[in-house]
Amino acid sequence: MAATAPSERLTSLSRPEEVARRNLWKEALHRLFLNRLATLGLIVVVLFILAGLVGPYITPYDFLEQEIDNALAKPTAQHWLGTDALGRDILSRLLHGARTAAFVGFFTTAISLLIGIVLGGIAGYVRGLADEFLMWLTDVTMSVPGLLLAMLMNTALKRPIAAWFDDMYIQTKNPFYLDTLWLDFVLVFGALAFISWPGFARLLRGQVLSVRETLYVEAARAIGVDERRILTHYIIPNAIGPIIVIVTAGVGGAITLESGLSFLGIGVQPPNASWGSMLSDSFSLWISFPHLMIIPAATIGVIVFAFTFLGDGLNDALNPRQVIKK
Amino acid sequence: MTVYLLTRVVRWGSGLLLILFVSYAMMFYGAGDPIKRMFLDQEQGSLVLEEDVLEALRKKYGIDQPFPEQFRRYLAKLAVGDLGFSIREKRPVNRMVQVRLPISMQIGVAAVLFMVIVGIPLGVWAALRHNSVVDQFIVGFIVFINAVPIFVITPLLLWFLVVVVGIMDVPYGWKGLFHGQVVLPIIVLSFGAMPTVIRQTRAAMLDTLSQDYIRTARAKGLTSRLVIFRHMLRPVLIPVLTSVGLIMIGLVNGALFIELIFNIPGFGHIAITALRTVDYPVIMATVFIGALIVMVGNMLVDLAYPLLDPRITR
Repeated sequence: MAATAPSERLTSLSRPEEVARRNLWKEALHRLFLNRLATLGLIVVVLFILAGLVGPYITPYDFLEQEIDNALAKPTAQHWLGTDALGRDILSRLLHGARTAAFVGFFTTAISLLIGIVLGGIAGYVRGLADEFLMWLTDVTMSVPGLLLAMLMNTALKRPIAAWFDDMYIQTKNPFYLDTLWLDFVLVFGALAFISWPGFARLLRGQVLSVRETLYVEAARAIGVDERRILTHYIIPNAIGPIIVIVTAGVGGAITLESGLSFLGIGVQPPNASWGSMLSDSFSLWISFPHLMIIPAATIGVIVFAFTFLGDGLNDALNPRQVIKK
Repeated sequence: MTVYLLTRVVRWGSGLLLILFVSYAMMFYGAGDPIKRMFLDQEQGSLVLEEDVLEALRKKYGIDQPFPEQFRRYLAKLAVGDLGFSIREKRPVNRMVQVRLPISMQIGVAAVLFMVIVGIPLGVWAALRHNSVVDQFIVGFIVFINAVPIFVITPLLLWFLVVVVGIMDVPYGWKGLFHGQVVLPIIVLSFGAMPTVIRQTRAAMLDTLSQDYIRTARAKGLTSRLVIFRHMLRPVLIPVLTSVGLIMIGLVNGALFIELIFNIPGFGHIAITALRTVDYPVIMATVFIGALIVMVGNMLVDLAYPLLDPRITR
């Protein structure tokens, strides 16, 4: 969709002496870097992951520290992005929110992918009734408005899990069970994975179905390549491209969904910082203090764009057959 | 044909039943005792009534029954259109839905009309000018509104229109469908599924343009308008129709956000309030109605399909 013209990609493919020097992955990486928007997306995503990892340690202020007499400050030398209604440093909260977003993106996608591999793998391998059942289940799950389902799941599980934590604390006196900060995270991962697994399951099913039927797998079997090598050298390299693409898109999607849930007040709860709740917190104030709204909004926008461009670029780089067909 | 219709109905009907079962089970095991919630004194945090009174109430509302029996009763009530009784507002959910759902419906229908009136011509235009500046601009627009979520676009747009340009006040509340301040919510809501409509139209149009019968029609000397309207519209509209499910989901999800942002007292507003206060009969009702809207949409498409494209049932 974006940037490089098809002709450019074709020439990159068609120089045989160059192709011979590169393996499959280097070739894909080369194609990715030909796409300027995708490269930009990659850089932003790497920066975002770095911010999620080290952000909270390099922030100038604690993300909860309040300076009430310096509330709602415009950007200054002390507070590069200003302060919010409670006098908390916005840059620090933004970096802390990056950690929230990265956590949610990573774990939600990991859980969805796991469900997808198990269910999609079974459906694609067994076929028949199991396959019919899975397709029905994905259809049904996808036909419920996702946010409603995620919010329902989140609301329904909060009380039992919190009660269970309390019981565990009374029994074990382990202070770990008093810390409910990450409980919210677990609930959000669960709720979001619950609505995003069908996409992964369908893709995995399709990949299993198509790759196992290909002639090169049959040919490899015929010349006596052992099953393990077929799996590692034939099936996985050919099936993994679309999976990488959907994982990239999935992380971006999970980040958007989490911001959306927090925006509606049902995602990761305060005092944890989340971009979505920063955005909704700004709502009564943004006419007088637009920076409160623009900063988190622009951050979400930039990150989502970066994931979109990277996903598109990876799709073009890893599935070159599709590109040529377009 | 009958077999096709029957399998469709069974497929979506059983799906709706599964959703009801899962959400009822979640609420049954997750939301706690509804009678206690109903009579809990919000300020004091203590129970207003004695335990034996509560027990009698539980009996009256059938909450002392085991899960399968309660679920069966719930389904029986649902079958005659009774959505239950709100714990927080202490009135029938039907009453709430009757007042609020039409508001969301009006906005939703207006958004779909806007999507069709703007989206389909844009898709057709992009395909007719394939790879030109116009095409690239439209595709860029799709990428933009598809990537940036509605709760990011709306505040930025509001800030731009209200503060920077200053041509309007912040639209707030509901003053009927024909009041000017409903325009922005409708446009923003239509952004949710607009990319799908434009993309499907454009792809189908590109596909159809290269068909032999179009070349034949042109070779016969038909005007390009006639070719587009008589020969291309139907094959182009079928893929758009396929995405009705996606459009419906976009509308319901979008309603949650725009009704919160613009403070429109609609269906999404009920859903958010109910979820925040764990008002579970209302939550059940919103999930049911939300799923019903999408599934009925999907089913109608499935049923309309054979009429538009007779090859399907073969």
